[in-house]
Amino acid sequence: MIRALLYLQYHSFRNRLISRFKRLRQPKYLFGALAGGIYFYFYFFRYMVRGFGSGHLPENPLASYSSLFASFAALILFIVVTLAWIIPHERAALTFSEAEVAFLFPAPVTRRTLIHFKLIRSQLSIFITTFFLTLVSRRFGGHPFLHAVGWWLILSTLNLHFMGSSFMRTILLDHGISNRLRRVLMAALVATAGISIWLWVRKTLPVLTSADTANFASFASYAESVLNTGPALYLLYPFRLVLGPFFAPDTPAFLAVITPALLIFVLHYLWVVFSDVAFEEASLEASQRHAARVAAIRSGNWQAAHQDHKVRREWFKLAATGPAALALMWKNLIGVARVFSIRFWLMFSILVLFCIGFIGEIGRLQNVSLMVAISVASVVGYSLLLGPQFLRLDFRHDLPMADILKTFPMRGWQIVLGEILAPMVVLAGFQWLLLIVGLGLVLVAPGKHDPWAIVIGLSALFVLPVLDIIMFVIPNAAVLLFPSWVQAGKDGPRGIEATGQRVIFAVGQLLVMLVTLLPVTIAFMVTYFPLKFILGPYVPVIFGALAATLILVVEAALGVWWLGRIFERFDVTEEPSS
Amino acid sequence: MVQVEGLTKLYGDFTAVKDLSLSIHAGEVVGLVGPNGAGKTTTLRCLAGIIPPTQGVVRVAGHDIVHDAVAAKRQLAFFTDEPRLFDYLTVWQHLNFIARIYHVRDYEKIGAALLEELELADKRDALPGQLSRGMKQKLVIACGLLHSPNVIYFDEPLTGLDPYGIRKMKDSILKRAREGSAIIISSHLLHLVQEICSRIVILKSGHKIADGTLAEVTRKFSETAGDATLEEIFFRATSDMPPPVPPKLPAGTP
Repeated sequence: MIRALLYLQYHSFRNRLISRFKRLRQPKYLFGALAGGIYFYFYFFRYMVRGFGSGHLPENPLASYSSLFASFAALILFIVVTLAWIIPHERAALTFSEAEVAFLFPAPVTRRTLIHFKLIRSQLSIFITTFFLTLVSRRFGGHPFLHAVGWWLILSTLNLHFMGSSFMRTILLDHGISNRLRRVLMAALVATAGISIWLWVRKTLPVLTSADTANFASFASYAESVLNTGPALYLLYPFRLVLGPFFAPDTPAFLAVITPALLIFVLHYLWVVFSDVAFEEASLEASQRHAARVAAIRSGNWQAAHQDHKVRREWFKLAATGPAALALMWKNLIGVARVFSIRFWLMFSILVLFCIGFIGEIGRLQNVSLMVAISVASVVGYSLLLGPQFLRLDFRHDLPMADILKTFPMRGWQIVLGEILAPMVVLAGFQWLLLIVGLGLVLVAPGKHDPWAIVIGLSALFVLPVLDIIMFVIPNAAVLLFPSWVQAGKDGPRGIEATGQRVIFAVGQLLVMLVTLLPVTIAFMVTYFPLKFILGPYVPVIFGALAATLILVVEAALGVWWLGRIFERFDVTEEPSS
Repeated sequence: MVQVEGLTKLYGDFTAVKDLSLSIHAGEVVGLVGPNGAGKTTTLRCLAGIIPPTQGVVRVAGHDIVHDAVAAKRQLAFFTDEPRLFDYLTVWQHLNFIARIYHVRDYEKIGAALLEELELADKRDALPGQLSRGMKQKLVIACGLLHSPNVIYFDEPLTGLDPYGIRKMKDSILKRAREGSAIIISSHLLHLVQEICSRIVILKSGHKIADGTLAEVTRKFSETAGDATLEEIFFRATSDMPPPVPPKLPAGTP
């Protein structure tokens, strides 16, 4: 029986590969593959080529901390495994495709064979992940083969553990132990372990002083003392065993640690295979949900693929009269509320407060003002580039509804403006919050206040919202101009060619942004430098920024109008994105 | 109410609709029929301003759908075969949203009445994911009728509806026609078209091959005018082959 399942697996993989090669006849995939290939070469493969040439990469300067890294890795693995016992709440379900359910479930196939099939199938993705992780970790030194085996063991053991824990969860539920009780028990166990470690550290190790955190070496030494002795040593011991082959510096060390790691792997395998848990019903439901999601995405209605049946709060009351574009913004803001909920803003505020507290702690430093300014500028800068990638509730989300939008009695530019206003409002709100907190910190922090930070921060308050509009016009233009190229939805095409398509668009976006910023920069300089001689170096920044904003407003208006024209001419019968 | 003159839609070298002209008056229900690929959906999309025609003019209530699109679209509603809704808006939020788009001041009163009429009043706060397909279809209809359109296009309006929904939909279409709306229905369900349409337009490969009442169309394609069904006329009009013969049932079958 397992041979038939292997046949299915082999031919599915082979046919998928062939269709991937065949689609390279389309320019969008061919150019994507080329760009993706170049990207992967420079990011991953050249290290591998160099590594194979010399046998080993140059010695990694962090190699002396490998014991500490191993301890931290064991801690992370412990957290991941613990969360797998606490967070999930469903019964054990192995996700099969609808075809697999239809053919395999009624067939004379034992439960154990189905588990084996699932394990074999998961090996394909584990091998691919292992390959890429090895390419990444190879950059930090070590032997690639040992790394590959190490990664494979970690991923495979984790995979078995997740499956086994889901079986155990089902068994507990069948024995009347509810999810809540299980979570409480697990949390109590983790808390006990944490308290034990804390008590032991307090009793046996000296108190952590500022000298311990002054440099990495002393901090590393202290952290290693905590993780490598006392209760933490025993708690993390099995996780260290699993990680052993990966961290082995050479072949003899690898051979010494491979046996216990393999033993843990085999024990996990036996645990999973001999668990007699009925997973079919839950698997059927999971498969149907998965199939519905895939069908929704393939039909273009991928919004339906992520529905959670929870009514979201309106950001404001929408009146029946007024600019129609606001209706689209209102609609999209309700959609955004799924992510940017009250809980999100609460967490974000806690994070900001934590940062304020941290800065307060290091208030004794001379350049707090500069540090805050640099941190805020970095985050705002990244938000400009990454914000439009994450906030996609615009045409990238509504493209499958383009025919509905086109029936609305609105001009193209009104629809475009309505579509991009919601993500722009969220991004600008995030940036304003950062800027206001940053400016506040600069003003209240002890030490010398940096006037540059203040005038640049104030200027950014009115420059950024307009710049955000332009940043959202660019990807939306890409969607309307090249609808079959752009990845609409998260389940778009995968592979090197899809990565290449993303690279091409990222480069394109950067180029357009630079071109857009050229006249803005000129406007700033033309205003700033003459005024500098009259008003000094700081105040003219505000006037320069106002002039730059004016140019940005014109550019944004032109961009929205132009995109509106494109939308009016947009043919909804164009090839769907995926 | 709707004037179409020389409508042509090309996709590259492929002609989806060729030189189509017709006019639909207030209160008229026109059935648009034809085999797959005849150009029905493309025609409706051009008439609704979703896709621009390659050639020709479409006027809705006197407004050109290309050059005066906003005024033209204010007059019409287009119902697609698949109910298309925003998954994160509730039933009532959909009406609120559409009211703002079409500037329907008293939408709360009209919306409540529509939900009552369409038996959706108790689903006011439900998301589309919590509605059956028929209910989604009804919500789309409520949204489309909120601004009291003078021109309504239906693309396969009965798909997925249960017998009660079908009856309700037929009644609703006829009611709007009596109130003065011009209606076009594109459907493969020939008995529906025969039952509720006052005029029939048959398309084949993008060309209009018949346009008139059932009697007029029958006269054109049948030697024995009078009792021919639309189904028989359809096969004669759209195929060079004779119409398929219904299977013979065993003796005694009711």
